Amino acid sequence: MMVDIIPTAFLFFLAAMVAPFVPVVLRSVLLVALPILAGFQIWYLPEGMLLQVGFFGFELELMRVDPMARIFGLVFSLAAFLGNLYAWHVRDTVQQVAALLYAGSAIGAVFAGDLITLFFYWEGTAIASVFLIWARRTEGAYHTGIRYLVVQIGSGVILIAGAALFYRETGSIAFENMTLGSLATWLIFLSFGIKCAFPLMHNWLQDAYPAATVTGTVILSAFTTKLAVYALARGFAGTEILIYIGAIMTLFPIFYAVIENDLRRVLAYSLNNQLGFMVVGIGIGTELALNGTVAHAFAHILYKALLFMSVGAVLFRTGTAKGSELGGLYRTMPLTMIFCVIGAASISAFPLFSGFVTKSLILSASAKEHYYYIWAILLFASAGVFHHSGIKIPYFAFFAHDSGLRPKEAPPHMLIAMGIASFFCIAVGVYPQPLYALLPYEVEYISYTTTHVITQMQLLMFSALAFTVLMRTGIYPPELRSVNLDSDWSYRWLLPRMIRKIATVVAAIWNGILSFLTQRLKNIIAGLYHSHGPEGRMASTWPTGAMVIWISVLLGTTLIVSFFG
Amino acid sequence: MSKHETDPAKLPALGRMFLWTGNKSSVDRLVYGIYGVCALLFLADFFYEKHVYLAIEEVPGFYALYGFFMCAALVVCARFMRIFLKRDEDYYAPYDVESEDYPEDQLDKATHDG
Repeated sequence: MMVDIIPTAFLFFLAAMVAPFVPVVLRSVLLVALPILAGFQIWYLPEGMLLQVGFFGFELELMRVDPMARIFGLVFSLAAFLGNLYAWHVRDTVQQVAALLYAGSAIGAVFAGDLITLFFYWEGTAIASVFLIWARRTEGAYHTGIRYLVVQIGSGVILIAGAALFYRETGSIAFENMTLGSLATWLIFLSFGIKCAFPLMHNWLQDAYPAATVTGTVILSAFTTKLAVYALARGFAGTEILIYIGAIMTLFPIFYAVIENDLRRVLAYSLNNQLGFMVVGIGIGTELALNGTVAHAFAHILYKALLFMSVGAVLFRTGTAKGSELGGLYRTMPLTMIFCVIGAASISAFPLFSGFVTKSLILSASAKEHYYYIWAILLFASAGVFHHSGIKIPYFAFFAHDSGLRPKEAPPHMLIAMGIASFFCIAVGVYPQPLYALLPYEVEYISYTTTHVITQMQLLMFSALAFTVLMRTGIYPPELRSVNLDSDWSYRWLLPRMIRKIATVVAAIWNGILSFLTQRLKNIIAGLYHSHGPEGRMASTWPTGAMVIWISVLLGTTLIVSFFG
Repeated sequence: MSKHETDPAKLPALGRMFLWTGNKSSVDRLVYGIYGVCALLFLADFFYEKHVYLAIEEVPGFYALYGFFMCAALVVCARFMRIFLKRDEDYYAPYDVESEDYPEDQLDKATHDG
């Protein structure tokens, strides 16, 4: 077979194999340079099915290049570049190799043209990414990593089960748009849903992301969930149930985000909320809506990484990311603060920032298709996201009360990474045309109309007003050191205790039966011993002669057997 | 101001530019500024032709009122939820990172003046 193209994912895997043997400084260069190389490759790839490989009688499509795959591939490369630049100081080979394998798997999955290839890369992202959590090297991180891995691997297992059933039903493993209906498609849908953090399947995200290392969280934030968004957009565009699932996703995390203390977990909740917008777009499934989803995923990866980078820099310098412990850091970390505010303005969709030109596509699509309640929920969620991410994160980290912490500004490589991410956030917001040109469908949408700018500013400024009023009246809940129960309580607290309870009862019954039986057996043995033992009454009647007879019988039998044998 | 006050001359120049945010009267001015901007934005609704899809969007100040009241409701609800959901930080310990310190060897803690 002539291979005239190397799959982009393989570039990452190759680098991951070489990385441990490369001198330390060169390794950081490799980590930063490789995503750029990958980005160029993706940019210049022609469209079409570029590489087939035979696999146990199946034809695997390793490189399906079309506009949708291309834009995700590009933004994943960009995210890998930013994440690795941000992690320039890291000397931990495990994290570096994991980051390469993780980004490679995510990009591989995006170009996968069939369900089996998708499965391999799907599990690849799960296995590679958990090392970014374990790399924290604490007991808590170890357990969190295990929980994360169980969920992620579980999602993959469900995917391959669905793919197998799908093959039996249709005789095809092609990864194309599917219709929900059979068990096969439901399993695939469920598998995507777990990775996309659907309501009640979401908690792995808020559990795991704040447990990763400073740099690990930045890298984690980009890939897994957006890969799931891509997979849903590819496989289930126009599936109506996604509209309602997405609406719930935009809604409930914002309540948690308001009362959460760990700022990285606040960001994980708002990530979940932003995924909701994308899922709604996929559910609506029109060209406008899908463009909105893809554009929003692009913008989201960048501003989310930027926000995680700024909070990560605070953690890196102070040792904590908790709102209750921070405050007043603008004095000594002003650049990090400014970058954080740019990320916050982008996620809040302020005019001239990236969220403004991408989220509105989804909102317009929902109104156009007459989903009015959904539109109202999305509007509420937009205001809410400004409230908890846009204001809360910069306010409690950099302003609010003075914590007395005077940390040094973030190191230069972190500032450069944040600066580049900020540049993209603003560039997309100010001049969205190049991004629109990359979208899967033709865009006939103008973001900057008087109505849109003024109504959006009204929404945001009055949310800010609400924050101000609530803060000054003392109604706003203070940041407290705490844990808030979420659905993970069911499997982290309730289930172990239920199992323990059931185990105690079962064990008690088992022990009861067992001790009853042993007691009976002991009684029988004691009885027999009493009657037939050496001291027993029955023993006194055994004549010695009986034994002699039996011995002669044995001897006689042996003789006969050996005579004929 | 507080016991933490450091010599402004030692702060980075950019950090000094934001010192006013620690000053109560400046914050008051900022808050009045927000009130003013909000009032203007509300009034702006009467001075341009709205191009919207939905009837409800036509209501003057709809976005403003929706943003304000929904956000207030969000915070009040969240505060109420805290009554049921809040637990101690070591609730899941030791199976959770929440009550652990971040490993020092992975950080680069440094103060701004040295």
